Amino acid sequence: MTRVVDARGLEPPQPFELVMEAIADLKSGEHLTVLLGRLPWPLFRVLDRDGYKYEYQIRDDGVVEIGITAP
Amino acid sequence: MSTMGHALGYDAAPAFTTPARFFVTAPLFGVVAGLFLLVAPDLLASRWTPGALALTHLITVGFMLMIMVGALFQILPVVAGAVLPAANAVAAVVHASLTAGAAALVWGLAAMQPDVLLAAAWLLGFGFTLFFVVAAVGLWRAPVSQATPRDLRLALICFGIAIMLGLLLAMVLARGLGLPLFTLLKLHVGWAWLGGAGILLAATSWVVVPMFQITPNYPDLVTRYWAIGACTALVLWSVAVLADVSYAELMLVLMLLALAATYTITTLRLQQRSRKSTADSTIRAFQLGMASLMAGLVCVLIAHYHDHAVWPILGGVLILHGGFVSVIQGMLYKIVPFLAWLHLNQAGLKAPNMKKLQPDAPIRKQLRSHMVALAALVVAVPSGSTLLVRAAGILVLVEFAWLFKNMIGVIRAYRLARDA
Repeated sequence: MTRVVDARGLEPPQPFELVMEAIADLKSGEHLTVLLGRLPWPLFRVLDRDGYKYEYQIRDDGVVEIGITAP
Repeated sequence: MSTMGHALGYDAAPAFTTPARFFVTAPLFGVVAGLFLLVAPDLLASRWTPGALALTHLITVGFMLMIMVGALFQILPVVAGAVLPAANAVAAVVHASLTAGAAALVWGLAAMQPDVLLAAAWLLGFGFTLFFVVAAVGLWRAPVSQATPRDLRLALICFGIAIMLGLLLAMVLARGLGLPLFTLLKLHVGWAWLGGAGILLAATSWVVVPMFQITPNYPDLVTRYWAIGACTALVLWSVAVLADVSYAELMLVLMLLALAATYTITTLRLQQRSRKSTADSTIRAFQLGMASLMAGLVCVLIAHYHDHAVWPILGGVLILHGGFVSVIQGMLYKIVPFLAWLHLNQAGLKAPNMKKLQPDAPIRKQLRSHMVALAALVVAVPSGSTLLVRAAGILVLVEFAWLFKNMIGVIRAYRLARDA
């Protein structure tokens, strides 16, 4: 089952910290879904740097849903 | 539809020092503004005195534009996903030309030195154009998936127009260029205040208010149409000013004021619905800013019907010092420690708690000094008392010196954490 981190409605840097903690627990190939209120470009940079695969979509209600897969 | 993640150029992200140099320089122009009031209290007799023009530009260019440009070097990558080419080198050049340009502008206006004024206009024009080109390259490459990047583009275009009008004004004053001075002046003020500063403030608010103040998002209708509406109204207003159709001009001024009021009221309403248990200093600074903007707009409206010189000056004080400076300071206290934290984290270092990078107590005290300085200005301006204006000058000086000290404090905490 995919783990979901709902980081909406939290003051920065809490969403970033939550996601970093969650991805640290992922094993290679495991998947994580993150829900946020906006596109997290700084997080994307760290995911790029550390070799994580990710994709995102902006839902009709404005929620940003990000799927992250560990390298 | 989902979008695959793509490399954003992590290494191209600007260093923390890139915006920091702007944040440290800007308060020094505020300190000089306080000194101006202290040394020459009669400069507030009219908004057209050389001293009043110099004072206005110390705040609008030296403080506001400096911080806005510095912040954009970081906001564009963080909020809009835009990667600015050669950001660190470009920032050094832009910072140097904006600093020299702002200083020359103030000197040229205060001493009415045409050549210095012209040099200032070219320096500012060069610095801003360089920034504009780099920001445009970054923004045009960035995905326009949310309202903020689009509105940031609009704000940059409006700033560009305001600076071009400023350049023309300098040519009229320094070289006797045959253009109507008062018309140019009106257009310059309109495009700089509502066009550049206003749209930039709104576009930043769309993100910063819900993000840091934990409010619901701005209504779709506002984020989708406000900035485009303001730009359209500004274009129509400019046509009315150029064609000298005073009835249409007044109608469009009212429309622009209504748009500004819509932004302030929406922001205040959202803040009332903040999920934060207690209103922090930033929310208070925003509330002061919004209330001052509203009061300033009323003064501008009265100034349209009433000839007394006090109304435009009071309007200027309330909009610039009360409105923009309050909100900018409030945003700085959220953005700067967050950026310091983010940079430490992205560098793989252990970042201390944000409260350690920027403790609450100095923020509260500095913002209180800002509030006292604003109150003193609001009392001093209509009183016409040189003693009160001097006292307000000292308070303005203290307020900005304190902001400078707090900015240095975050940078020092960042360096300590980085080198630990």
